[in-house]
Amino acid sequence: MVQALYRRWRPQTFEQMVGQEHVVRTLRNALASGRTHHAYLFAGPRGTGKTTTARLLAKAVNCLAEEPGDRPCNACAICRAVNEGQLIDLIEIDGASNTGVDDVRELRERVGYRPNEARYKVYVIDEVHMLSTNAFNALLKTLEEPPPHVIFVLATTEPQKILPTILSRCQRFDFRRIALNDIVARLEYLAEQEGIDVQSEALTLIARQATGSLRDAESLLDQLAAYTDGGITVEVVRAALGTGDEEAVAALADSLADRDMARGLTIINEAVDQGADPRQFARQVAEHLRALLLTRLGSDATLLHVVNSQREVFQAQAARFSPHQLARLVRLFTQAAVEGKAAWQPQLPLELAFVEAALPDAEPPPSPAGTGPSLPAPAQRRPAPGQHPARQARAAAARTPSPPQRAQPGEPAVHAGRPEEAELPPASAPLLLEEIQARWADLLSAVRPFNLSLEALLRSGQPVGVEGDTLLIGFMHDFHKSKVQDASSRRIVEQALGKLLGQSLSVRCVMIRPGQQQEPAPPRQSPPAAAPSAAEDPLVQAAVQKLGAQPIDPSR
Amino acid sequence: MNETGWDIVGHEWAVGLLQRAVARDELFHAYLFTGPPGVGKSTLALTLARVLFCAGESRPCGNCQPCRLVASGNHPDLHFLSPESRSGQMTIGQIRDLQRQLALTPNMGRRRVAILEGFERANPSAANALLKTLEEPPPYAVLILLSPDSDVLLPTVVSRCQVISLRPLPASLIRRALEERHGVDPERARLLAHLSGGRMGWAVRAVQDSTLLQRRQRRLEELSALLQAPLVERFRYAAQMARDTELAGEVLDVWASWWRDVMLLAGGAKGPLTNPDRGEELEKLAARLGPRAASALVDATQAAGECLRRNVNPRLALEVLLAFDLPRIS
Repeated sequence: MVQALYRRWRPQTFEQMVGQEHVVRTLRNALASGRTHHAYLFAGPRGTGKTTTARLLAKAVNCLAEEPGDRPCNACAICRAVNEGQLIDLIEIDGASNTGVDDVRELRERVGYRPNEARYKVYVIDEVHMLSTNAFNALLKTLEEPPPHVIFVLATTEPQKILPTILSRCQRFDFRRIALNDIVARLEYLAEQEGIDVQSEALTLIARQATGSLRDAESLLDQLAAYTDGGITVEVVRAALGTGDEEAVAALADSLADRDMARGLTIINEAVDQGADPRQFARQVAEHLRALLLTRLGSDATLLHVVNSQREVFQAQAARFSPHQLARLVRLFTQAAVEGKAAWQPQLPLELAFVEAALPDAEPPPSPAGTGPSLPAPAQRRPAPGQHPARQARAAAARTPSPPQRAQPGEPAVHAGRPEEAELPPASAPLLLEEIQARWADLLSAVRPFNLSLEALLRSGQPVGVEGDTLLIGFMHDFHKSKVQDASSRRIVEQALGKLLGQSLSVRCVMIRPGQQQEPAPPRQSPPAAAPSAAEDPLVQAAVQKLGAQPIDPSR
Repeated sequence: MNETGWDIVGHEWAVGLLQRAVARDELFHAYLFTGPPGVGKSTLALTLARVLFCAGESRPCGNCQPCRLVASGNHPDLHFLSPESRSGQMTIGQIRDLQRQLALTPNMGRRRVAILEGFERANPSAANALLKTLEEPPPYAVLILLSPDSDVLLPTVVSRCQVISLRPLPASLIRRALEERHGVDPERARLLAHLSGGRMGWAVRAVQDSTLLQRRQRRLEELSALLQAPLVERFRYAAQMARDTELAGEVLDVWASWWRDVMLLAGGAKGPLTNPDRGEELEKLAARLGPRAASALVDATQAAGECLRRNVNPRLALEVLLAFDLPRIS
């Protein structure tokens, strides 16, 4: 079996590394001056060179070349052994498979032994974020003061999952996504070396798809090279990626401008029939609309990606939308590109997004009135913006006189201090409360990324008052209250509040009785004044008609 | 047999790529097949395994010992992993077992092939545990991951595989395959081809299990009835439906396909419908509801399905759909 391109062409010297100059330079300087650290952490997205750099480092510290600047030489016994994956003193550990504390204990026992043939034993722990907390802690002492002949390299794609105590013991290098041009250049080089015939536009397409991961780009090139005997053309890449025709994308945007639903749906159907991947197509449409939006807002940057002959058409198309519309469309299609996981009909999210996008936006949301059961307050899954006009107006009013520091985030922080807030007239408290109430949903979604269950807990609570700079959140159940009152949860809420409102508030949880709501319940059927005949009560009538209730006369 | 010789309907692109790789002995060490359920992922994976193991002349021959062993599921070098039935997840224990087995040289031929079905249900530690193996497996090993979608997997997993995405087949292709290979009469083949939504596996299952089609018809009739039913009826139906979540999910899929047709008709699309046998009824609904309401119903039906998958109280989710989202049309 032939090795994959990305394995065969793994860089063997620092010069061959693509991108990551900041990492390479620092490491080479350290090597040249003999000041290597004993523990490194390599963090960065997939396919950016973490494992490769770790192996280079292992070679360089052990290389037998006289001149430090020449290391790794790839000629000495050590370098060759590393290249063949046979150096006993380079120990690569799969952190995701050896996650337990016992694995680390075993490692610690072996760390003490001297290297077999090389100068240093280099431990590379890949996917280190998967180690359990206990395993991390067991590693701490070793990582802080390992024997002089040991170098640790931890590599991970998710540095945020690593304990701060580990982080502080390592020299950290952040690997960046690789720039498009660098990827294209690398692919060109590989294609030349491998004798792959490929159009340069096709390479750009591949590189764009890889979104900064060199491994993705090389895999794709590999795959395409295996597929065709002839050259790799733009068409071949499109077939492989399921990318739709640019013209189809532009035509779809046109039909959006015309609100011509029939044509748009036909375009989608044709594109999918011709082998476009619906998700990929949605992504393309979103990108196109984004370019239109930027053009509409007066940016020239996106025009650079458009072919000269098409620029006028493109600009004309942009002029047909309002920026507001475009923003909404971008959102719809971006959502279609990410949602609908494993849908039974892959093109459905795209079609849905299109239909929604092509509908006139002025109409009120569909009301089941006339057709649906008319229960009070029908459940709206997605409250349309502008559903509570009164509330929003109030919130807007509340925002205008609010402290100025939020309007100018660039102002020195001193301004945002508390003393000034304390001088605010007391009237600001209810206003603030109203603002918080109006933006409660924003707060929930701000909390969500930090703690899902906290968001759920907050849903059962409601802001009930502001005392000084403390926000009171009311709960009906003691359990909910104590959970949110918990120091760590409270801190998250406070931070989110601070971000949202631009002023720091502390949070206190209180109990409220059911029914004690800050906002009056929407006026439903007011209770009958003098209890007329029960059968006339609209509630009873609804129960009889809709739920099949049987009225019973209590007097009998 | 079709021209590929691999006995696979459609997916010429994917089959061509794999054939070429096999012929040149340039097989990649890790593949990821994606596509909606029933589109042919495991069929393709198993075919590839047979080709790799086959000892006959024209691979896969189907007669040699390895081919027979694969067919009976007993080939010692073929490892077929699917999520544990108890937890519904692929666990790190399973992955470790696999790694142990892969570390041994092949028993019979030159290769070991691991097919990991339903990899989207591998839990995070299992998926992470596979990373190193996926990047640099032993030289004789080929790993094939199957998942409906690459976006639901860890990006680190996807970037280590060659991704081959199988897209739904055109209805005409399925219709022909059904007529030619399974002896289905043209009228029925046409209907099944449309209903399948481009998934050959589903179409074949529908041929073998005639009740599948009947059940589907019944679901749609029930939906029609529900549209006219008062709330009591709807609540009763939801309660009954909620007893079997898996079945309810199926029903919702059928309904979603129905509302999609309504939406497409309301939007004036000329494309093929999923339920062409009920064109008249669909047209009427489309004219009545209009595109906005129809798309809202597709959304609501899918949302209910999503709720079921996420373990929301099924009865509640279904009641919301039936009582609030479904319009009443008399």
